[in-house]
Amino acid sequence: MVTNVLLTGVGGQGIITASTILSQGCRLAGWQVKKSEVHGMSQRGGSVNSYVRFSPDEQVASPLIPEGGADVLVAFEPLEGLRQLKQAAPDATVLVEERRIVPVTVNLPNLSYPADVLERLMAGARDVRIMNAAAKAIELGEPRAANTVMLGALSTLLDLPEDSWREAMELVLKPGAVEVNLRAFEAGRELVEAQAAGA
Amino acid sequence: MPENAKDLSNVVLLSGNEAIARGAWEAGVRVGSGYPGTPSSEILPALNELPDVYCEWSVNEKVALEVASGASIAGARVLVTMKHVGVNVAADPLFTMSYTGVEGGLVIISADDPSMHSSQNEQDNRNYARAAKVPMLQPASSQEARDMTMRAFEISEEFDAPVFVRPVTRVCHSDGLVEVGERQEIALRGEMEKQPEKFVMVPGHARKRRVAVAERTRKLVEFAEQTDLNREEMGDTSLGIIAAGVAYEYAKEVFPEASFLKLGLVWPLPPERIRQFAEKVDRLYVVEELDPYFTEQILAMGIEVEPVDDSFRIGELTPMRVRQMIAGEDLPETAPDEDLPPRPPTLCAGCPHRSVFAALRKLKAYVTGDIGCYTLGTLPPLQAMHTTLCMGAGVNQVHGIQKVRGHETPVVAVIGDSTFTHSGITGLVNITYNAGVSTVVIVDNRTTAMTGGQVHPGLGVTLSGLPGKELDFEKLARAVGVEDVRVVDPYEMEKTEQALREAMDNPEPSVVITRRACVLEVRERHPAPALDVETCIHCGQCIRIGCPAIFDASDEDEPTLPEIDTALCTGCTMCVQVCPVDALVVPDTEEGDA
Repeated sequence: MVTNVLLTGVGGQGIITASTILSQGCRLAGWQVKKSEVHGMSQRGGSVNSYVRFSPDEQVASPLIPEGGADVLVAFEPLEGLRQLKQAAPDATVLVEERRIVPVTVNLPNLSYPADVLERLMAGARDVRIMNAAAKAIELGEPRAANTVMLGALSTLLDLPEDSWREAMELVLKPGAVEVNLRAFEAGRELVEAQAAGA
Repeated sequence: MPENAKDLSNVVLLSGNEAIARGAWEAGVRVGSGYPGTPSSEILPALNELPDVYCEWSVNEKVALEVASGASIAGARVLVTMKHVGVNVAADPLFTMSYTGVEGGLVIISADDPSMHSSQNEQDNRNYARAAKVPMLQPASSQEARDMTMRAFEISEEFDAPVFVRPVTRVCHSDGLVEVGERQEIALRGEMEKQPEKFVMVPGHARKRRVAVAERTRKLVEFAEQTDLNREEMGDTSLGIIAAGVAYEYAKEVFPEASFLKLGLVWPLPPERIRQFAEKVDRLYVVEELDPYFTEQILAMGIEVEPVDDSFRIGELTPMRVRQMIAGEDLPETAPDEDLPPRPPTLCAGCPHRSVFAALRKLKAYVTGDIGCYTLGTLPPLQAMHTTLCMGAGVNQVHGIQKVRGHETPVVAVIGDSTFTHSGITGLVNITYNAGVSTVVIVDNRTTAMTGGQVHPGLGVTLSGLPGKELDFEKLARAVGVEDVRVVDPYEMEKTEQALREAMDNPEPSVVITRRACVLEVRERHPAPALDVETCIHCGQCIRIGCPAIFDASDEDEPTLPEIDTALCTGCTMCVQVCPVDALVVPDTEEGDA
């Protein structure tokens, strides 16, 4: 079976790095994997989507997730999560960072950031986990590690061995950044586990 | 040991672009040239990382292809990279290089961008292969990108032709597993024998080469009938699909049981194999992105294919669109998201060149623009770019407009530093030569920013990081006859506006260079300003500069209230400079220069 993970957010949030770590992790586990995104214009503070498709045994054909087929939607920003909600499968899990990044278009007439963005996400999917990865990363002293907090949370939903995640981070990240990101990853796992315990 | 725990040492995760570089390197390529353009830009830097290859960012695609022609004549295998519209720039040498052929194998990457993720059009460059009679391969994945690049060099040398490899955005910027190998050591071909009948395309020689091209095409068709680049995958014969590239992967995703004729060589086509495949299946569909390129050729062979709605000719395909195309299903209803504020790309927070557009808006100028990040100056609230056509066009459009409307009409061209070297220089020469009056603004951010920050001649550093001669824009402008040349720091908004106004008022040709490095290259940060709410008159001037770090935090019925995202703000102070009442205050720095 092919698993489809859609990572979405805003240019500059480290989404492509996160999806590269996931893809390398799949490779290191001996799995099949494809990943796709668009570079260029989108890097200028625009919406960014990265598609990762993998399977322990099956070949992956399309690099794009078939529409409405994402098994996990990882939203690094709530508005972007809401925008991509239509790509999530009916039984998808949604991980959503709570910190909002307001797009410049709210300065135009008749457009505003939806105040009820989290409520709309909760109403639109069966399993929505609200994350405070950005705050967690600041707490760890590395605001840029919010993406690996999200990956830690994601790791609790996938069968990818923990060693593969770790090796992938060592491979993809700059040597000096590995240690704090490993802690961020762990913090992400704990966030989800704490939520599960509280539920 | 689990079954899938195979040796991973030669299986790597590569983007299509990295895989092309890898394939070229393994094929023994010695030279790489190109000009950056999404989605092709990462190929040459990846090739440059590998040993024993000379790589350069050429000044434009025509130059890159001609450099490659020379390297090929010298006997080396050479890779040339560009985006689809870059092939337009390189088309002049291309069509005749089809006649001259090669010595060392020559492979041209045309990276096409269906859906125009980062392009001004979505032309289908398979048409170039057919028009120039140059063979073209189309990879579907990273593995094929590597494999087909290697095969392309062999075909180039075997058939004495330049060869295209045409990936699309979803191949260039998709990652997949690639089994890699070692580099082949390929000796230089030939001894640079002088072959004027092959390489001097005067009519008498070209007429002979034209016949040789026809003979080559005949042999290429024979090759297409045999090669494993094209392959038949027979399954359920009630549905047959002819497809190439990533469209094949989409079709395979949604119709895994169908029969396929997968084309790896997309010019020339194999008529016999297509006919045989068509005979074996009940319904035959051609699944192709953009133009009905295969469809028309297959129909011309007298083979019937199922009709496809014209709407599928626009934009990239997706698995669901392929399902729709063949099964006729509608896309599932989705919740409307029209009320969500879009998040288009914007000029970055702290972009020094924002002030140029703020000033031109104030001066009510008609701005002939160009290709680069600064094209984003067309978006609200700046709305200060009024044409964008192709690389270098703005410099010529301004001249054309002023020949009709005169100097009194406030028109100005805006072009980036890299784009200016690519194809703006000739336009500047044209203005001075033809007694023009125009003002050309070179927004000089010291990089090729939109495509990821590549070096260019204005920097005096090459792709390999070696020093090169630095192109001096001021001296160049003066040398071509522009006497009014100004250089300003665009962070100084008043001076920038004044320079623009004076240059536009001058009835002689003028050049204004606004010079300040891209914020993504020089990550200099100063403290964000603070808003003095008591002083703010809610005029919205600060928000109208269109910086993503400052936005209106009030609700619709309330007066404008700016809020600064301190994580995004670089402390460039443009919002402070436009505030008429000094309500935005720069905090004291440690140097105490408040």
